[in-house]
Amino acid sequence: MDIARSWRQQDSNLRLVGSRCRVCEALVFPQRLRCPSCGGADLADHAFQGGGTTVSVATVREAPRGFAGQVPYAAALVRLDEGPVVAAMLADVEPEEACPGMRVSMITRRIRQDGDDGPIVYGYKFAPEGSP
Amino acid sequence: MHLADIIGIGRTAAGEHWRRSLVDLCVEAGGAALDEARGTTPTAVIVGNALGGVLGDQQNLALYAASRLGLERVETHTVADDEASGGSAVRVALALLAAGLHERVLVIGAEKTTDALPDGVEAARAKGLDAVREAGFGMGPSVGAALAMRRYIDEHRVDRDLFYHLAATAHAHAALNPLAFLSWPLPEEQYRCSPVVAEPFTVCDGAPLCDGAAAVVLARPSQRASSAIRIAGSSAVSCRPGIAGLAVDLSLPAAERSAAAALSQAGLAARDVSVFELHDSSTLMAALSVEAVGLAPRGKALDFAARGGLRIGGERPALTFGGLKARGHVMGAAGVCQIAEGALQLRGEAGTNQVAGAKSALVQCLGSLGATAVTHVLA
Repeated sequence: MDIARSWRQQDSNLRLVGSRCRVCEALVFPQRLRCPSCGGADLADHAFQGGGTTVSVATVREAPRGFAGQVPYAAALVRLDEGPVVAAMLADVEPEEACPGMRVSMITRRIRQDGDDGPIVYGYKFAPEGSP
Repeated sequence: MHLADIIGIGRTAAGEHWRRSLVDLCVEAGGAALDEARGTTPTAVIVGNALGGVLGDQQNLALYAASRLGLERVETHTVADDEASGGSAVRVALALLAAGLHERVLVIGAEKTTDALPDGVEAARAKGLDAVREAGFGMGPSVGAALAMRRYIDEHRVDRDLFYHLAATAHAHAALNPLAFLSWPLPEEQYRCSPVVAEPFTVCDGAPLCDGAAAVVLARPSQRASSAIRIAGSSAVSCRPGIAGLAVDLSLPAAERSAAAALSQAGLAARDVSVFELHDSSTLMAALSVEAVGLAPRGKALDFAARGGLRIGGERPALTFGGLKARGHVMGAAGVCQIAEGALQLRGEAGTNQVAGAKSALVQCLGSLGATAVTHVLA
């Protein structure tokens, strides 16, 4: 993960910015240049509120490179209140206690670090609603 | 339809080839296929490979494979469509034949994953999913399969341990296959005690990545009567990718459409087909593939496997050489390997893995957790 890539993703990673199609009103996360529903190119930025519900959860014990320091962690699919489903890690919850149907909201956390001297990438995770 | 004749087959063992490079594997399988095609010189070489360049291995692989095989002045292409690369390589070859640009094409699928450490391979493999939104957030194919598996268990109200029967089917067949990586039967106790990768997904739910290659020589359909196995249907379909869609819908629309189109070209229905080689990169993907191709209704693939329906000698023999799960997951080679195995079945040369009286085979490989599907029907 180089610096430019990380910089390019900051709006979506830190503020859940996606797109709203001005033609068909579809909401999509992350940002798109073309609407995946109607193909139109007239899109506006749309920051999602960050609230959602888990659709599925899995406790990861063997992680890909870059994530080993965080195991065990709960990986989840979160259906945002506005509709789109996001794949993300859960935070502030014991992985074993995470389950489908949980109310969660977006928080900003460290996602990964590339090696000991690589940049630290921050982004969204989801924590149980009402957790500190 | 009669799209091409398969006039040569070559396979390496699936496993850990410490003394072989990626190019060596291409040469071993490709050379064997050319030997079988006796004196035929292809004018094009297409190689399917998923991870070579990403893992620091040879790029423009088809060029180097062709050169080391002594093939000069040939057209070469390397095809990389994640785990569907092998099937896609065959599609490219069929297109070249159909366009009349070549008479004989050598197709090789090859993968070499054991030179890299497993966490690096898993990270590279994860790039077949959305590199930013999925791989970048700690999701790989195993985590994706785990999220879908959890949903499958909840939605279809099935016992989690029933997934055993898909793994057991593959292992039972691999135990008969001398070229398989995990060539032993899988006891239920071993499956249940398998270490967790991403709860509920365990090591025994995943197919083991390994090295291997397979090759076929394809020829334009001959007008003369020929005993060669034919490719009678071919279809590749890509649908919207994403773990979310897979886990929410618990279906493989690309696999469904691609299988239906290939069967229709061949003038067959799934119930007419003798042998099924499917993309069992995990027990979850095996279940969804079995349902996508129409061997069991949705949510019933596990029951069907538990009843022995997928066994050699069963109702719908599948994964007859051990599948990805136990023959070994050779990634970009998988699609070509499946075609070689299907052709051996139809020739009656499958040895102890033979499905009696096999007349047709459906082979399907999937990339990016099923978003890309390539299906061929052999007859």
